[in-house]
Amino acid sequence: MTPDLIPAVDAAGLPGPVWLFQFLLVLTFFLHLLFVNLTLGGTLMAAISHTLARGRADDPRGVLAGRLIGINGYGISLTITTGVAPLLFIQLLYHQFFYTATILIGWMWLSLLLFLTVGYYAVYLYKFKGAPARGRGGGVWLWTAAILFMVIGAIQVAVNLIHMQPGSWEALAGNPWAILNDPTFVPRYLHFLLAGVALSAMVVTWWAVRQARQGIDPDLNGTIAHFAWKWVLWASVLQIADGLWLTMALPKDVLLGLMRGGGATMGPFTVGVFFGIGILVMVARCSDPVTRPALVTATLGTTLATMAIMVVTRDQVRSIYMGSSVDLSQFVIRAQWGNFWLFAILLVLGLATVYYMIRRVLNEPAEGADAA
Amino acid sequence: MDYPIWDFAMGGGMLMALVAVPHVIVAHFAVGGGLLIAVTETLGVRRNDPELRELAKRSSLVLILVSTVYGAISGVGIWVVAGLISPGAISSLIHNYVWGWAIEWVFFILEIVAALVYYGTWDKISKKAHMLVGWLYFVGAYGSLVVINGIITYQLTPGKWLESHAFWDGFFNPTYWPATLLRTGVALMMAAAFMLFPASKSREAGTRLVRYIGGWLVAGSLISYVGYRWWEAQLGETTRALFLGESPTLASLAATRSFTLWALAAALVLGIVFLLIVPRSIKAIVPGILVMVAAFAFFGGWERLREGSRKPFLIHSHLFSNGLLVEDIERINSAGLQAYTGWASTGGLDDPIEVGRRVFKIQCAACHTLGGYRSITEALPTFQEMLAVTANDPPGSGAAAFEAGCASCHRDSNFEEMVEFMPGADEMKEDPEMVTDLLVGMITGTLEQLRDMGQAYVDADRSVQFDTQTTAYPMMPPFVGNDEDLEALATFLGTLTHDGASTVLTGGGE
Ligand code: HEC
Ligand code: HEC
Repeated sequence: MTPDLIPAVDAAGLPGPVWLFQFLLVLTFFLHLLFVNLTLGGTLMAAISHTLARGRADDPRGVLAGRLIGINGYGISLTITTGVAPLLFIQLLYHQFFYTATILIGWMWLSLLLFLTVGYYAVYLYKFKGAPARGRGGGVWLWTAAILFMVIGAIQVAVNLIHMQPGSWEALAGNPWAILNDPTFVPRYLHFLLAGVALSAMVVTWWAVRQARQGIDPDLNGTIAHFAWKWVLWASVLQIADGLWLTMALPKDVLLGLMRGGGATMGPFTVGVFFGIGILVMVARCSDPVTRPALVTATLGTTLATMAIMVVTRDQVRSIYMGSSVDLSQFVIRAQWGNFWLFAILLVLGLATVYYMIRRVLNEPAEGADAA
Repeated sequence: MDYPIWDFAMGGGMLMALVAVPHVIVAHFAVGGGLLIAVTETLGVRRNDPELRELAKRSSLVLILVSTVYGAISGVGIWVVAGLISPGAISSLIHNYVWGWAIEWVFFILEIVAALVYYGTWDKISKKAHMLVGWLYFVGAYGSLVVINGIITYQLTPGKWLESHAFWDGFFNPTYWPATLLRTGVALMMAAAFMLFPASKSREAGTRLVRYIGGWLVAGSLISYVGYRWWEAQLGETTRALFLGESPTLASLAATRSFTLWALAAALVLGIVFLLIVPRSIKAIVPGILVMVAAFAFFGGWERLREGSRKPFLIHSHLFSNGLLVEDIERINSAGLQAYTGWASTGGLDDPIEVGRRVFKIQCAACHTLGGYRSITEALPTFQEMLAVTANDPPGSGAAAFEAGCASCHRDSNFEEMVEFMPGADEMKEDPEMVTDLLVGMITGTLEQLRDMGQAYVDADRSVQFDTQTTAYPMMPPFVGNDEDLEALATFLGTLTHDGASTVLTGGGE
């Protein structure tokens, strides 16, 4: 008797077509990933920069650490906020796989909450008790946050690998740590970590270049831009090597599936790889980013585009991994189009309101008695 | 019920409470605080009252740190825990109400971004722009509450949804509006209770500000009271009878209800006395704490009452807390649990104790632990209890032991009658096997009752709320499975009825 470990498709069905939810899953996951990268890569980069600066805030690398954490104070909140939506849609489309994966590593999955809370408050402690507020120190907080965020990333990669491979469940039920032996675990994890570092470094370079060109602390900003730009370079080099490793480490069927998918799967994948190499070429061609602001902006744009494409590839790889274990057409569809439109309209209105709010705030600076 | 089981000795319910209770308090604080802070700042600007503005500012710092960080993480935490302890149930909710959650997410984005901006722009932008951000925060926060409340109330009173399965029938269910009002009142109470502390810190205006906060607290309490009464009136007759009337079906729930109402009365009276009449008393910390505790107690009490009245369902009359769908009862009874889920047989079918342990985990562990909270060992008759009843040593202790350990299942007989049926103490000690058989027989009989209970659900009119009072165990779902499943579970439970055995088994969760 071979018991079927994959739970039944939820009888309640889907309140809309499969493609709509797939689209929303991929879209919101991309949004989430933007902030994940800033949080994960940014905190790690901040911790290293802080250490290189020997904990001093007056060292350019210390300033950089402070800036990265300045972004993260908001970035972590937005990571959580944007994470809610893909968490919702993955439970909707892949509930049988996702819940099972989280249950199989239940303790780890649960401790993610604890790590997140501690990591978040550690970032605040660094901000208010460390170098940004007092001139020096706080490295312990920063490293605590960086390490915890890295562990969270590893947990997410584990859940992802487990949920895609129902064949591994029975073995994992006895020994969940075995997921670390998955040959793609390390390269997949590094793929995310390096992307995070690259994006964070890219954003701070862009910002420093902008400031330097506006004449704000040109020396300091020039140094920071230089330093961060090197990070972009090395992260990109390693990323390409790691991408190759990951591709080779994929199970043979998955790699073949990716190729057999034709344009639909090879298209995005090829473009993504090309863009990745493109980033490297752009960065390598320019040694002083302050002199080439347009190039810096273009590189940032390309980085974002690469991520977006790779998110699509990632989703396709999931489908190939799952193969015949999943059949989304089994869902009974009871579309609620009215609710979809309500959601879509509210989303547009909500984002427009956020945009309007931020514009107003930027346009109405005030000081002293006039200020709020 | 066809997911693997996450082993958790403490019990999933306990873990959920640990995550959910602080979350709902913080979440309501975030909503009410949004309103109070926006109003306070606006009044401060209109009346040119720096004290009020200072109060808004100081409260907002707490609000942000607590609600954007802790509130958001614990909110995700509820999902994480629910997915671990009752995946089938949470999946069903999500598949029915995903658009509701998607809409809530939009409000959540607005709430979080506005909170971060509000916090970061004190002393930096114009007053008007800052007030606008504050009000947008409130819109976002209140919007999430209004949406999520539709889903929560649907779980208790699905109303017409049971017939139509239509989104809006479930959303605007009978208790939707009353619960919205009630939660609005609660949000004001929570916010006032928290803001009391920054308000009382102000040296010059302390008294005035405390009175101001007191006004909010009293208003929140009154709104909560109206909301509560209305909510109670909108519960179905059969649900109300669980805790109301001459002889409520569930005494513990009736006690929770009176606790809830007394706590609300206490919050109101304490609020009037300490905050409105002698606001200076707040300088001493204790009165403030008392007000806060009363407000929390009321809110906690009501949440318990709500959850308790919904038991054993997660979605009333549709889905049980352990993930069993009413519509699956017959299928599982005839085909058996092993055919229903592969996880019931992972690890082999040779050892009936192991199979029974898995059946227990799949069906009972959502509510019962082995030795902790709502311990199954305590619910079952044990060798020691049997012995205590027969031995009756010292005299009189047997009757007490009967009341404590047997009466709940043997309502028709009393101690004397029971002893007549039972073997003597010496006989038991000599032949424990015989007692084991007797105990396993009792467990088997109980499980059969629990399985028969399912028929009532199968036969019931699926388009109206089921009356749980009519069943033998109003707080429990029926047992489902074929005879082999039942026998395996009884065998496993039988091992728990002997001294020493329970400790071994509690530890053996692997
Ligand atoms: C929805 C939660 C829930 C589930 C699932 C559940 N129970 Fe219970 N059970 C309770 C509650 C609450 C009580 C105590 C109140 C009562 O007697 O109704 C209880 C009481 C009991 C009692 C004691 C009855 C008495 O009158 O003393 C037994 C025995 C029992 N449960 C066995 C089981 C078994 C076996 C399973 C699995 C097949 C199970 N329960 C599943 C909630 C649950
Ligand atoms: C969880 C419910 C439950 C509890 C608690 C319980 N019993 Fe029972 N008991 C039963 C059931 C059901 C039967 C009928 C078994 C059958 O049908 O074979 C039974 C049968 C018996 C019988 C067999 C005589 C008869 O009437 O058939 C005796 C004796 C007995 N119980 C004694 C006790 C004593 C003593 C206690 C307290 C230590 C106790 N029981 C606690 C459920 C329970």
